[in-house]
Amino acid sequence: MKLGILGITLLVAALGATSTLAQSKAPGVTDTEVTIGITTPLSGPAAAWGTTALAAEAWSKHVNEQGGVHGRKIKVVMKDDGYNPGRALANVNEMKDSVFALVGLLGTAVLNANKDTIADAKLPTIWPYGNPEVFAKQPKEKNRTVFMVYPDYTDEGDFLVQQAAKLTGAKKVAVFYQNDDYGKGGLDGVKRGVAKLAGSMALAGEVAYEVADRELSTHALKIKESGADSIIIYATVTHCAGLIKEMAKVGYRPKIFASFPLGDRHTMFRLLGELWEGAYYNVTGAVPGEPEGDRIIDILLKQEPKLKGRESFALTGAAAMMAAVEGLKRAGKNLTREGFIEAMESIRGWSPEKLTAPVTWGPNRHHGGNPIRMMQAMKAADTSFKTVTDYQPFPAHF
Amino acid sequence: MDLVESYAQDLGFARKRITRALLALLLMALLAFPWVAPDYMVFIATLVALFSIGVIGQNLLIGYTGQISFGQAGFLAIGAFSFGHLSIWGAPFLLALAGAGLMAALAGVIVGFPSLRLKGPYLSIATLGFGVAVYQIFVNSEVLSGGRSGLAIAKLKPMFGLSSVRYEYFVYMLLLAGFTWVSYNIVSSFVGRAFVAIRDSDIAAEVNGVNLTRYKLLAFALSSFYTGVHGALYAQVLGHIEPQIFNILESITLFAAVIVGGVASIEGSILGAAFVILVPKVFADFREMVPVVYGLGIIIVLMFQPLGLYGLWLKTRLYFQLWPFR
Repeated sequence: MKLGILGITLLVAALGATSTLAQSKAPGVTDTEVTIGITTPLSGPAAAWGTTALAAEAWSKHVNEQGGVHGRKIKVVMKDDGYNPGRALANVNEMKDSVFALVGLLGTAVLNANKDTIADAKLPTIWPYGNPEVFAKQPKEKNRTVFMVYPDYTDEGDFLVQQAAKLTGAKKVAVFYQNDDYGKGGLDGVKRGVAKLAGSMALAGEVAYEVADRELSTHALKIKESGADSIIIYATVTHCAGLIKEMAKVGYRPKIFASFPLGDRHTMFRLLGELWEGAYYNVTGAVPGEPEGDRIIDILLKQEPKLKGRESFALTGAAAMMAAVEGLKRAGKNLTREGFIEAMESIRGWSPEKLTAPVTWGPNRHHGGNPIRMMQAMKAADTSFKTVTDYQPFPAHF
Repeated sequence: MDLVESYAQDLGFARKRITRALLALLLMALLAFPWVAPDYMVFIATLVALFSIGVIGQNLLIGYTGQISFGQAGFLAIGAFSFGHLSIWGAPFLLALAGAGLMAALAGVIVGFPSLRLKGPYLSIATLGFGVAVYQIFVNSEVLSGGRSGLAIAKLKPMFGLSSVRYEYFVYMLLLAGFTWVSYNIVSSFVGRAFVAIRDSDIAAEVNGVNLTRYKLLAFALSSFYTGVHGALYAQVLGHIEPQIFNILESITLFAAVIVGGVASIEGSILGAAFVILVPKVFADFREMVPVVYGLGIIIVLMFQPLGLYGLWLKTRLYFQLWPFR
């Protein structure tokens, strides 16, 4: 019994102590440390995308080696959510009062489940990955703590159609898309693009697949029957490779225009070899093989050797942490969430180590960029590529 | 010591004084919990509460009636989307909840029909097919799924001056208490005995006057009602639903909760729900090792406690009852 009373006294004392601490400092901030929270899919169907978080952590270690920001080391608390919105919400709920900011929430469903929580907790959320429409649909004041840089699938679909017409003189395009938010967003964009070119361009076929599909020969035949000269692909890496192989089997080789999740040419060449040669694809930032990309990859691999072979995702993730670090630098020594948000809003025309197009945030602009540029795969033997366009000036969505 | 003298006594929920005292203690702890625990723990308890309802429902079907089903994700989706549409049309919370449960129950009856002819693995495959079909229907019908990016659901408006997290906790705990109470009554009534009879031998049950058609369909309807309510409550907590959330993994999680918690046990169902929520949450910092820890946890529980977590509880209870003898 005595022990029980002692325990309760201790508990009360501890609770009191933490609440006084919270009053004097911003959550997750001490004189020597600032805590950044990350919830990401490290297991489950989207585990490959969790690489972005590992790279963000690696970049924070690099910053710490350089002395941190204003004398504070960055501490990353990373939790696995398995791409499950319920688990992500539980993780964010747990971290919202103990971390200073979040970096890189991942997945449109995850963003949807968390958007109210981060707005209510006034929790800065830097560089979330998902459909920008999640935030664009909300009232402006709820997005105050969100700082996003992510392409809009519809804008991208439109762009792919225009490029097909311009680069290869395409007359009939077909779309192969994943039957969900991502794929359907792309399809909308393709339709918009075709409508703009009415008369000279036709949408010959729309073929959807499910994430669980493994057998794609009927899809390939349908696209072949449509007689399209070019195909626009909104798919996962596996499904894109599967489809192109099946199309090749029936002797059908249309021009390929692929959405940005297919922008990792090493993976695509590994899966498809020469079949990927000549394919046009989008990327959102610097890629391995460009000096800007290679320089950062070297730094990241030194901190986290596990990133080997996943360099494209790693660069995307590092850029997210760079943005948070830039905000911390600008917010100054006396760190509060409010000051940090104002600092983030002061970022204009800034590029994270030249990894992507210049980013501009502001009080009325929390979608800091919609960066897409086009590349073409050249030779499988040396995984060479060619840059086709510069970054496209798409509008910010919120 | 523990002499049961009448049938009413046998049916009683808590026969001994100590059980009643412990139960009261548990209730008090649950009442006080939101004030002593941080908000995120209260939220996790809320998740456990809503999951428990679904797991109890599945246990009625799988554990008590012995009908192995893998269609849970389908019922969850039907419950969640019915709830979503009803609340968007302005139905109050409880009405929308009941509607969600009823829609799922209706689907349960339809799925139940094959169960009259199918058994064991064949029934599992049929119900699995149902789960996948429902998913496909929602993915492909934007009218049902609320458009490309899903359906937004307004949060519960807190009452009595409680914070939103605490209010949700109390509402969900009350619902869980209600469902638990009803479930105890079901399993101790002639309905529950009919379920168990069907599980142990459906021919013998029929010979003894159990109407197989009626009770098998009833088991499906009841369990689907529970699962539909689970889906609705989950939708309410997330505030946004899309079909992708209700994939086959959800079916497997619910099934695992039934087995790990303890087949044919209501307390076990709650323990199982706590297991599938808490293990991934507590070990979330283990990063990519979470599924390994989770899988190992299930293997260990089943190796050492074939009756699930409920078996562990039974043994502990027996130990204290027999103390100091072993």
